[in-house]
Amino acid sequence: MIPLELYILLASIMFTIGLYGLVTQKNGVKLMMCIELLLNSANINLVAFSAYQPNVNGQVFALFSIALAAAEAGVGFAIMIALYRLYGTIDLDTIKAMRW
Amino acid sequence: MYSDLAYLIVGLPVLAFVLCLFIGRHLPRGGGFLTALATFGSLIISLGIFTETYPSGIVHQSMLWFDNFDIGILIDPLALVMLLMVTFVVTLIHTYANGYMNGDPGADRYFAEAALFTAAMLGLIYSDNLLQLFIFWELVGLCSYLLIGFWYRKPSAAAAAKKAFLTTRVGDVMFLAAIILLYNNLASLNIVLKPGEYLLQFPVIYAHLTQIPPAQLTLIALGLLGGAVGKSGQFPLHVWLPDAMEGPTTVSAMIHAATMVTAGVYLVARMFPLFYAAPYGLTAVAAVGAFTALFAATMGLTAFDIKRVLAFSTVSQLGFMMAGLGTGAAVGAMAVGVAMFHLIGHSFFKALLFLCAGSVIHAVNTNDMREMGGVGKYMKWTMYTMLIGSLSLAGFPLFTGFFSKDEIIVIAYEYGVAINFLPYIFLVLAAVLTAIYTFRMWFTVFTGKERSDYGKHESPSIMIIPLVILAIFAFGFGLAAQGGFYTYLDSNFEHYDVNFNELAAIGGHATEEPKLAGEPATEPSASEAGEGSEAESEAEPAEPWYIQILPIIVALGGILIASLFYFDKVKKFDPSQVTGEKDPLRKLLLKGYYQHEIMTAWFSETIVYGTALICNMIDIKLVDGWLNWFSSVVMGFAQNVRKVQSGVVQNYITALVLGVVVLVVVITMAKEVGLI
Repeated sequence: MIPLELYILLASIMFTIGLYGLVTQKNGVKLMMCIELLLNSANINLVAFSAYQPNVNGQVFALFSIALAAAEAGVGFAIMIALYRLYGTIDLDTIKAMRW
Repeated sequence: MYSDLAYLIVGLPVLAFVLCLFIGRHLPRGGGFLTALATFGSLIISLGIFTETYPSGIVHQSMLWFDNFDIGILIDPLALVMLLMVTFVVTLIHTYANGYMNGDPGADRYFAEAALFTAAMLGLIYSDNLLQLFIFWELVGLCSYLLIGFWYRKPSAAAAAKKAFLTTRVGDVMFLAAIILLYNNLASLNIVLKPGEYLLQFPVIYAHLTQIPPAQLTLIALGLLGGAVGKSGQFPLHVWLPDAMEGPTTVSAMIHAATMVTAGVYLVARMFPLFYAAPYGLTAVAAVGAFTALFAATMGLTAFDIKRVLAFSTVSQLGFMMAGLGTGAAVGAMAVGVAMFHLIGHSFFKALLFLCAGSVIHAVNTNDMREMGGVGKYMKWTMYTMLIGSLSLAGFPLFTGFFSKDEIIVIAYEYGVAINFLPYIFLVLAAVLTAIYTFRMWFTVFTGKERSDYGKHESPSIMIIPLVILAIFAFGFGLAAQGGFYTYLDSNFEHYDVNFNELAAIGGHATEEPKLAGEPATEPSASEAGEGSEAESEAEPAEPWYIQILPIIVALGGILIASLFYFDKVKKFDPSQVTGEKDPLRKLLLKGYYQHEIMTAWFSETIVYGTALICNMIDIKLVDGWLNWFSSVVMGFAQNVRKVQSGVVQNYITALVLGVVVLVVVITMAKEVGLI
C-alpha cells in the first residue's frame, strides 16, 4: 500500500502549484485552473485520509467538493466570457473599473 | 378706551414700515404720507391716553413671554411725555421729509426705515421691562445705521454709518452686562412674584433696589451709564454723532432731536431710582454730562459745516440733560423732571434748527457755511423760524431753552452747594459758548453778502409748515408747560413702590445733603406730588439772586459776543482767510481736539489694529498651525497606508499566504523553544 505521506506530498505539491499560479498569473482562465488545483489537492487529502481510516465521510465530502468546483467553474467562466465581451481581454490587470 | 389701543402706538409705524417696504415704490413720494400718517395716528393715541390718565394714572399691560420675562406696555408720566414729544416731532419731520426726499430714487427705502426707526423708539419708550427696552434699543441702533448710511454709495456715509454702529455697540455691551448683573441679583433674591409681575419689570426693579448690595448697584449703574453714554453721544463715545450728519438732514433731525440720542437720557431717567441708590452712580452721570456739555460746545465754535455745528450743539445739550440728571444726587427725584423738560424743549428747537438747516441746504446745495451768507434775503420764513430756534437754544429769556436750561443750571448750583461746584462752572461756561456758536452760525448763514452762487428760492410749503409749527413750540412750550410739567413728572415715581429716603441712605446722599434730597420722601407717600413741588418752590428762593439771573446774563452776553464778532465780520467775509489753520487754539478746536487722530488714527489703527494683527498671527501660526500640522501628518500617513487596499485580489492572496507562512514559522519556533 502506498504510504499516506506520498498522498499528502502530492496534495501539497498540487496546492503549492495552485497557490503559486493564483498569486502570479494575470490571465483569468489560468486563475480558474489554479483554483481547480487548490480544490483538487484538498480532495486528494480527503479521499486519502478516508481510505486510511475506514470511514466514507471523507469521500462523500470529496464528491460534494467536486460538485461545488463544477458549479464554481460554470459561474467563473460565464463571468470571464462576459468580461471578454466587454473589454476584449481577460487580463485582470487591465480590468480596473472598480478599483484604482 | 385709548389705553386699549396702546399697542398701536408701535403697531402703526410698523405697519407703515411693511407697506413702504413692499409697495412703497409704487406709491407717490415713496409712500411717505403713510409714514407720516402712521406717526400721526400714534400721536392721536398718545394724546388720548394723556387725556385719560392725566393728572395721575398709568397704563400697564403685560403678558408672559417666556420664563421670567414678559412683554408689556408701561405708560407713566415719564413715558407719556416722551411718547407725545416723539410722535409730535417725528410726525412733523416725516411731513417735512415728504418734501425734502421728493425725487430721491430711494425714497421708499427711506420712509420704510424711518417708520421702523420711529416704531423702535416708541417701543423703547413704553417698554415695561429692561429686556424689552434693550431689544428696541438695539433696533434703534440698527435703524440709525441704515439711515445714516442711507446714501450708501457715498464712502463717507458708509463709514459714518459703520462708525455710529460700532461706537454705540461699545455702550450696548456695557448695557447688556448691566442687565445680566441686575437679573442675577434680582434672581438671587428669590422674590415671590405676584401674578402679572415679572423679573426685570421696572416696578419690580424699583421695589427691590434696597435688597441689592450697593457695590453691585454701582456696577449696574455704571453699565447702564455706559449704554446711555454710547446712545446719547456723551464723552468719550460721542465721536459718532457729528459724523452721523452724512445721512439726509431729516435723519439728522430725527436722530438728534426726537429719537436715538434722547434714548440714553431716557434710560438714565427711567432707572433714576437705581442711579440714586448706587453710590457714585449719579456723580458719574453728572461728571460725564457736565464735561461733555463744555467739551462739545467748544468744538461747535469752529465747525464750518452747518450740520456739524448743530451736531456738536446736540452733544453739548445732551450733556446738559445728563448733568441735570446727575444733580439728582443733591436734589432728588425732581432732577428727572428738570432734565426731561430740557429734553422735550431741546427736541422742539433742535428739530426746528435741523429742519431749517435742511431747508437752507436744500436751496444752497452745500453744508459749508463759508459758501452761504445772505441767505436770509431769499428765505425769509426759514430765517425767522431759525432765529426762533437759535434764540431758544441760546436760552434767550422767555424762550423754551431759557426755562429748561436755566433750571438745570440752578439745580447744578444746588449740587454745587451740596457736593461739588465743578459741574456748575462747566455748565455756565457751556451756556455762554452755546449762545456764541448758535449766533455765529445764524449770522454767518443769513446775514452778509452771498459768498457763492446758489439757488435763491424759498423751500416748498410742505417743508415750511412744519418749521412754523415747530417754531411755535420752540418759543411757547417752555412758557406754557413750565409749572405743570414739573408737577406731572414729579409724580412719576409715586406710582411705584420706591422709597427715595431708603435709596438715599444706600447711595450715601442723605447724610451729605439732608435738606433737599431726603425731604420729599420723609413723608409717607400720601401727598408726595404736593410735597415734591413745594420742596422745589421752597428750594429755589434759597439761591442768591445772582444765581437766578446769571443764565439770562450768560445767554444775552453770548449773543452779544457773537454779534460783535460775526455780525460785522460776515459783511466783509473772505472765506479764504478764515481757515484758522494758523491760530493753534482754533486749529485745536477745528480738529476736534485731535480726537480723530487720537481715537481713530492712533488708538484704533495702531493699538487695536496692531493687537488684532498679533492675535491674528498667534491664531494662524500657533493655534491653526499646530492643528494643520497634526492633520497633515495624519493625512500623509493615510495617503501611504491606503495603497495597501489595491483592489488587486492577487495582492491580498499573497499577503494572506505570507501571513500563514509567518504564523507557521512562529508557531513552530515557539514549539521548538518550548513556549507552547
